[in-house]
Amino acid sequence: MNIFMLYLDPGSGSYLAQIVAAAALGIVFFFRTIKLYILTFFSFIKRGFKKEKKEETKTSE
Amino acid sequence: MSQASQKHPGSFRDPAGFIFQKNGILYRQVNKSFEASFDAFEKSGACQKFIDKNWLIPHQRIAENLTGDSEAALFLQPERLPFISYPYEWSFDMLRDAALLTIQLAENCLEYNLQLKDATPYNIQWKNGKPLFIDSLSFEPLRPGPWIAYRQFCESFLAPLLLMHNNKQHLPELLKAWPDGMPLATVASMLPWRSRFSIHTYLHIHMQAKMSKKTTGKNPSTEGFGKDKLKRIFLSLKTLVQSLKTPDSKTEWADYYEEAGQRGEYLLAKQALVKQWIREMSEIKQVLDLGANEGAFTEIAVANNLDVIAADIDPECINRLYLQGKKQQHPQVTPLVQDLSWPSPGMGVNNQERSSFLSRARGDLAMALALIHHLAIHKKMPFDSIRDMFLPMAPQLIIEFVPAEDEKAALLLNRLEGLKPAYTQERFEHSFLQSYEIHKKANIAGSSRILYWLSRK
Repeated sequence: MNIFMLYLDPGSGSYLAQIVAAAALGIVFFFRTIKLYILTFFSFIKRGFKKEKKEETKTSE
Repeated sequence: MSQASQKHPGSFRDPAGFIFQKNGILYRQVNKSFEASFDAFEKSGACQKFIDKNWLIPHQRIAENLTGDSEAALFLQPERLPFISYPYEWSFDMLRDAALLTIQLAENCLEYNLQLKDATPYNIQWKNGKPLFIDSLSFEPLRPGPWIAYRQFCESFLAPLLLMHNNKQHLPELLKAWPDGMPLATVASMLPWRSRFSIHTYLHIHMQAKMSKKTTGKNPSTEGFGKDKLKRIFLSLKTLVQSLKTPDSKTEWADYYEEAGQRGEYLLAKQALVKQWIREMSEIKQVLDLGANEGAFTEIAVANNLDVIAADIDPECINRLYLQGKKQQHPQVTPLVQDLSWPSPGMGVNNQERSSFLSRARGDLAMALALIHHLAIHKKMPFDSIRDMFLPMAPQLIIEFVPAEDEKAALLLNRLEGLKPAYTQERFEHSFLQSYEIHKKANIAGSSRILYWLSRK
């Protein structure tokens, strides 16, 4: 099977840049996932708290 | 290659195959060296999926050896598109959507253990107002290591988009100046300092520009560079492209219709005349709306079920027209940024790789509404030159003559006193009637302007 190396010669800076970018993005996306997880967790708690409060006001009525 | 088949002058870079024309039909030859890769692409199911999703141009396999070439393995007949346009004729959102389609294809290839081997905007065309990938030979089996077309994507898609986004200006000319993609060091120097604070822009442009300068010639180890890392690169590129905003700079033409609408019954009367004349024309399918602005007259053609190439000098207007078409209001419109006094030239190898706008602009009807005074006065084009430009485009021409006493023409003429003697209705008619005959002529109510329906002699 023939693979054509048309636009990216191995050894060029772009090749190396992509390797470094992929590693850096790994860290970026890792922290983004944690941030999203924390945000989802707190919004879940907030929603649960609001729901409880609504139910409380309904029963007191 | 047999004499009856003609190789496309722009299809020579890829050793996998090429496009050629035979008996007026467009085909693609797949060379023996790429046969196995193409088979893998077809058998993987990716090819059919991409076609079904309207991401990739459909094709038919042809069994016969059409070129007689000993290198030929198989032949494809791709669906023929009515018009071919180039990235330097697109507006910001057109280039942005073309970039997103390219990443989408690259991402989806991974599911099938394939890779997109090139990422040039020249592989994208437009069908029903949406981008369509036209190079069926751009897919090959996935090999370990970074994305082979990464630098090409950054140079030819990301660079012009980022410059337009950061400088808040429509700059399609960038792609004409650097048709093979912009050198990243140049882009990095043109971007504002603050662009370094975007992690995605920093990694794909600034860091890559710096690293490209230090080419070692050694092969960096690709061990461990698998699909997950490729996915990260694609996600980052997609996130960056999606975050780019359409430049909101207001151009002089952006409020044209609003302003023209204030001129009483003029616009309505012109629309009524154009509507009536188009209905009277038989057997027309393709319309060229030259100086289309935001497409008030393009819409009339679309309402009559006609395909329209809507060209205008103003990229802001063309961008709005594209976004309207995207919302399915007029999907059969191809919006194009085009300065008719500097139309896209023939470019590339032997000036034939990318053909000129004037050699591509063909239709059944050309419309030049409220355009002649800009070309003849502002751009100082003689009537004969304007006529010769319109003549090969279409057998029918609807053209509006804006007389010297008209408010807008007078405004332009006041700055160029010397042009006044040459800019008369008599001279206009004398020039155009050498090659056309008047089919109909009408004064446009609410103005001193005259609308002509001319037929080529």
